[in-house]
Amino acid sequence: MTDNNAAPKGRIMVVGGGISGLTTALEAAEAGYEVTIVEKLPSLGGRVAQLKQYFPKLCPPTCGLEINYRRIKDNPRIQVLTMAKVNKVDGGPGAYDVEITVSPRYVNEKCTCCGDCTKAVTTEIENSYNFGMNKAKAAYLPHEMAFPQRFVISPKIIGTEDANRAKDACKYGAVDLAMQPQKVNLPVGAIVWATGWEPYDARRIDNLGFGQYDNIITNMMMERMAAKNGPTEGKIVKPSNGQAPKSVAFVQCAGSRDQNHLPYCSYICCMASLKQSTYIREQYPDAKIYIFYIDLRAPGNRYEKFYKKIKEDPNTFFIKGKVAEVSETPSGEITVVAENAVTGEKIRQDVDLVVLATGMQPSASIERLPADLVFTEEGFIVNDYAKGGMFAAGCAAKPADVVSSNQNATGMALKAIQTLVKS
Amino acid sequence: MGDRKLLEPDVQFIQTLGERGADTLKKCYQCATCSVVCPISPDNKPFPRKEMIAASWGLSDKLVTNVDVWLCHQCGDCSAKCPRGARPGDVLGSVRSYAIQKYARPQWLARAVNDPKKLPILFAFPAVLFVVLGLITGLMDFTPELRHGHISHGMFFSSWLVDMIFVPSMTFALVVFAMGLKNFITDMHEAAVAEGKVARTDLNWLDLIKAAPKVILTILRHDKFSECGENKERATTHMMVLFGFIGLFIVTGVFFVVLYGSMAWFGSYELAWHSPYSQLNPVKWLANVAGIALLVGALVMLKNRLFKDEKVAKSSYQDWALIGLVLGLAVTGLGAEVSRLIGAATVTYVVYFVHLMFVFCLFVYLPFSKLAHLVYRTVAMLYAEYAGREEALKKAA
Repeated sequence: MTDNNAAPKGRIMVVGGGISGLTTALEAAEAGYEVTIVEKLPSLGGRVAQLKQYFPKLCPPTCGLEINYRRIKDNPRIQVLTMAKVNKVDGGPGAYDVEITVSPRYVNEKCTCCGDCTKAVTTEIENSYNFGMNKAKAAYLPHEMAFPQRFVISPKIIGTEDANRAKDACKYGAVDLAMQPQKVNLPVGAIVWATGWEPYDARRIDNLGFGQYDNIITNMMMERMAAKNGPTEGKIVKPSNGQAPKSVAFVQCAGSRDQNHLPYCSYICCMASLKQSTYIREQYPDAKIYIFYIDLRAPGNRYEKFYKKIKEDPNTFFIKGKVAEVSETPSGEITVVAENAVTGEKIRQDVDLVVLATGMQPSASIERLPADLVFTEEGFIVNDYAKGGMFAAGCAAKPADVVSSNQNATGMALKAIQTLVKS
Repeated sequence: MGDRKLLEPDVQFIQTLGERGADTLKKCYQCATCSVVCPISPDNKPFPRKEMIAASWGLSDKLVTNVDVWLCHQCGDCSAKCPRGARPGDVLGSVRSYAIQKYARPQWLARAVNDPKKLPILFAFPAVLFVVLGLITGLMDFTPELRHGHISHGMFFSSWLVDMIFVPSMTFALVVFAMGLKNFITDMHEAAVAEGKVARTDLNWLDLIKAAPKVILTILRHDKFSECGENKERATTHMMVLFGFIGLFIVTGVFFVVLYGSMAWFGSYELAWHSPYSQLNPVKWLANVAGIALLVGALVMLKNRLFKDEKVAKSSYQDWALIGLVLGLAVTGLGAEVSRLIGAATVTYVVYFVHLMFVFCLFVYLPFSKLAHLVYRTVAMLYAEYAGREEALKKAA
């Protein structure tokens, strides 16, 4: 990077600290611009931090995250606000006034991640990082790859004896129970919304039995289950009894390409299921894997090659037909029902575990963003380049894989920089 | 992949389906959700996914000969769960309508019955026919007297004239059905065997008829309707209308026999037991109950269609025409009776006249209209039972 003599004017705010937000922030900061990352959770990393592996290379996301965190630490131009939410955006391109609320973490920078506070508290809370598959203590580290590496104390125990126990257990004086929510006013020249996605709520797909039968999970739950730092320490098991599944069915387009749910294709679920079939194969060489699909989408040469490789597996079966009914057998297996559209026969397949390949719902559709933005009917942000100033990156704009998100995020960093330069 | 077949899309067919409620069929992307959520679709070659692609490709021959389109009772589970809003239920309904038209003769009448523009002519035709025949024969009296001190529709519109018109009308309908059914059954059988979805590959007419008691019981009990998830209440309204028709058919038959029987007994038209019959007569009770069932059933059907979500089901001209006919029959039938009882002579004669117009439409247009499902669906269900549509898979296994 060459030094830029003219001091860049203005600051770029990046909302969302997932892979797209990180990329935008780093690209802009490394080009010499001041950047603030506003992340609502206690840690950066977003959805990729929940994955076991990326497709198609099957490498762990922790590797890339670590490099990005290193780049952030080395770059004084990046300010990171976690547990922070944007309340209000006023002004226009080149001169926005942003109001942010930072929620109290109750743990300050003295934290060494020793874990004594966790041991001290007794209250358990739902572990949303693992999609509720296990509990976490009310004083916790978001996850091993958390950035900042700092514990959090759940507001649920504030004012209770448990909070005092955490405070007393800390040898470093890092627990600060008096922390209050803080309002931060930030003048910025450009904003990149990298607000990402939520897994579509599988409970809403009433014919696919999620929430009704224990052995039906979602694809993101499978990621957590297969990950070493997940609730089962990486062991893929039947949630009902912790036993090894002998057969697994993947239900593609679960609530996707469906006008009753998400009307669009989420782009990644086919590849994700193909990838997850390798997780199962790695642990269970003889398990039968059934992939029920409408159309398998493996776009591009590399993905196509990956799909072809999976197809070579003699115990992985591809059935063209969407699962539209599930039930449980008396012995606890799940029966998935589909019509094989190639043979024209109805299939009732009993399996031990069912994975619903649910799609991406834009976070902005669940909680509206407090800014003058244009949204699609589904809640994706429409980029208005003519107006400029605010841009959407990654899955806030459309469903995308990590590669495309990063490419897009880099482009949006440039868009943000152009806004500053022009104004 | 050895067999190559040239598909010949019938574009006109696709257009016609579109006009009859299947305007969404091209939205289908063959996910097969419909075949799975359908509560009455068999495991072997289930419907309606394969019908959706055949319709989309314009394969009219494949569809009109398909027994499965008749096994569908259009409960709408498939349309409600369809991820694309392609409304398979309505597509099958439109295929049935097309098949009815295709098997009916004469074709010009079949086209006319299904063309909303021809409705005024078709409806006016019986009025003209009645008056012309009435004037020629002198069996219509425009200044009718009372019969034994009561208003009697027969004094205005002689029962001779009624039977002179309606016995041939019914015969006409039966002949049209008979001609259509012979082709329909043969085609349906050939297609089902070719597709390998039936256990029995021969066609034995006697055995086919032997399946009737079981199937008719299934129909009367509305078993298939009750299996539906989405529109369970349709079973009740359909039952009311069907039983209403059956009741009125029995009443008409009984009074027909009574009239001509008494005439033969006494050897005199004047001495025969003419209508109106006493309200204390049990047959009259049946008539009234059946009439009210028809009216209430049709009104609820009308209400359901008016307030139905168009995304799940859309009503076509054929649907409205049938409800209109049933309502017309019920309202004018009960109206003629009530106005007679309160002594409104002119009103009751006019209403009775209109009632007979509706009855004419019912009989003569029956084999060409949606109501023909009464015959086609019954026969298709009969065939499915006879040929073992459900059991073909077990046999193959």
